[in-house]
Amino acid sequence: MLSLLGVSPALLAGASAKAKEKSSSTVAPVASAKITALNPKGLPPPVQLVPMAPRLASLDGKTIFLVSDGFPGADHFLAQVGLWFQKNMPSVKTEYRLKAGQFADDDPKLNAEIKASGNAVIMAIGH
Amino acid sequence: MGFPTAPLVTIAFKDLAKSNAASRGMPLERICFTPHPVWGKTDAEMYAYLEGNDPVSGKPLMKEITDALTQPLTADEKKTGSFDVSTGPPTYTDTADALQQYYLDNGMTDFMQIVLPTDERLAAMLKGTSHKPDEIVGKMSPARGSYPDWQFTVKQVAINAVMAGAKPEYLPTILAIAETGLTSLSSSTNSFATAAVINGPVRDTLNMNYGIGAMGPFAQPNAAIGRAWTMLSRNLSNSGIPGQTYLGTLGNGVNYNNLIIAENEKNSPWPSFSVQKGFKPEENVVSVFVGFSISQGQGGIGLGVKPVPQYDQAIAYNCIPFGPLFNALIVLDPLVAQGLVELGYKSKEQLAEWLQKNQTISAKNARSTLFAQRWVPDPKTPDDQMIPYYQKADAYNFVVVGGQTNPYHMVANMSYRVSISIDKWA
Repeated sequence: MLSLLGVSPALLAGASAKAKEKSSSTVAPVASAKITALNPKGLPPPVQLVPMAPRLASLDGKTIFLVSDGFPGADHFLAQVGLWFQKNMPSVKTEYRLKAGQFADDDPKLNAEIKASGNAVIMAIGH
Repeated sequence: MGFPTAPLVTIAFKDLAKSNAASRGMPLERICFTPHPVWGKTDAEMYAYLEGNDPVSGKPLMKEITDALTQPLTADEKKTGSFDVSTGPPTYTDTADALQQYYLDNGMTDFMQIVLPTDERLAAMLKGTSHKPDEIVGKMSPARGSYPDWQFTVKQVAINAVMAGAKPEYLPTILAIAETGLTSLSSSTNSFATAAVINGPVRDTLNMNYGIGAMGPFAQPNAAIGRAWTMLSRNLSNSGIPGQTYLGTLGNGVNYNNLIIAENEKNSPWPSFSVQKGFKPEENVVSVFVGFSISQGQGGIGLGVKPVPQYDQAIAYNCIPFGPLFNALIVLDPLVAQGLVELGYKSKEQLAEWLQKNQTISAKNARSTLFAQRWVPDPKTPDDQMIPYYQKADAYNFVVVGGQTNPYHMVANMSYRVSISIDKWA
């Protein structure tokens, strides 16, 4: 009846007759046979160990730069860090800076400023 | 940097911070952690974080910070040299079922069954290109600049193409996508999506679908090429490890096989996207986009206007939720493109110019968004001043695709990145 209307029964069944033919002739694989497959991973670069900069003997009288990488809320949070030093370690001077560029970009101008007039950095990252 | 630094990171990014520090050569970096989030907290709440403990070490946070800057370095912290990073053995041997589970458990899939990449299948796949298996194709990372770039060869791209169910003739397109260096699994907390626009005769050679359901799961080349992009992003760049290299808070279903858009060139009234970018119509080209995601256009104002719906108004309306972090990719059924011609838009560029002038936001509203600094950098800008969403018309990109079953469009807050020749990888 459906074919008289120009409609294939397979169309209503939601699958093509061709696909059905194929699946019936497929030979099931032997589940226990072992095969070898390839590692799909790329090539990570070697890791170059970077020694940390020497630490300070004390923070007394030192200038700490509070650097935000631009994530939302970092500026307000670093303002609280500055306040904490004011209350608890008043000899420490803090300077707030927003790092230039995108989150992960280096900021050579700021680095030079910190080297010239600062002693350490607290960098706030995240949300 | 040459001066003592205490990185301060919220606890949600612990694994990312530690693994990234290690891969950048400072595995013992003195990272201090705060509770999460910082964004949206009051000053008093943030100050309380500082008076509390580091949630990782359990020690008082500010002591942790001051110690990080003052405690002498250990011998391990002073170490120099280099070491290689292992990505496992070159092959795995087991039953097919066990291998499927192994690839899945070790994060090498999209959590669906793969085609196991055997030597025989790889050899067949490599027949799809004239390039040598060991040729370097490019490099990629979960977010450029934030993670080390991984390199990859033709062979490694081909292995991932096999896993995605691609045919050898799809390989040049997949290699071109890989060459863009754009991961489909960006690490961002935003849950980004990616799109690839394909132009040129290859769309017909491969039997790509650019008609009914063009962006859906209705054709093998569209499906497998898109899936291969995610597979290779995962395996060739280390993208997509939740907590370490993937932080998308909601995730994005588009990431399964991305938006693969073979432009419907024959039914478009305008030059194709790749021609706009300077390629010839007979060249095969893939152009990639990244951004937030794609959404429907049916709710746009002006679509009910007769006889010709105001598609320009509707597109501008549908783009209202866009943020300026990314540009616009507008996907138009050929019927919409024809309607826009009837409205007087002789070119995509002309439509872009109209949108650039007419899609605006008040300074007051812009100031209340996440992107205030980008939209209104000058605090003197009056609240009632209308600001264009984008400063340049070329922020608007248009692609014509679809089966003309109805004049619909979709809008994606996505930016164009680069176009790469598919032919060079044949």
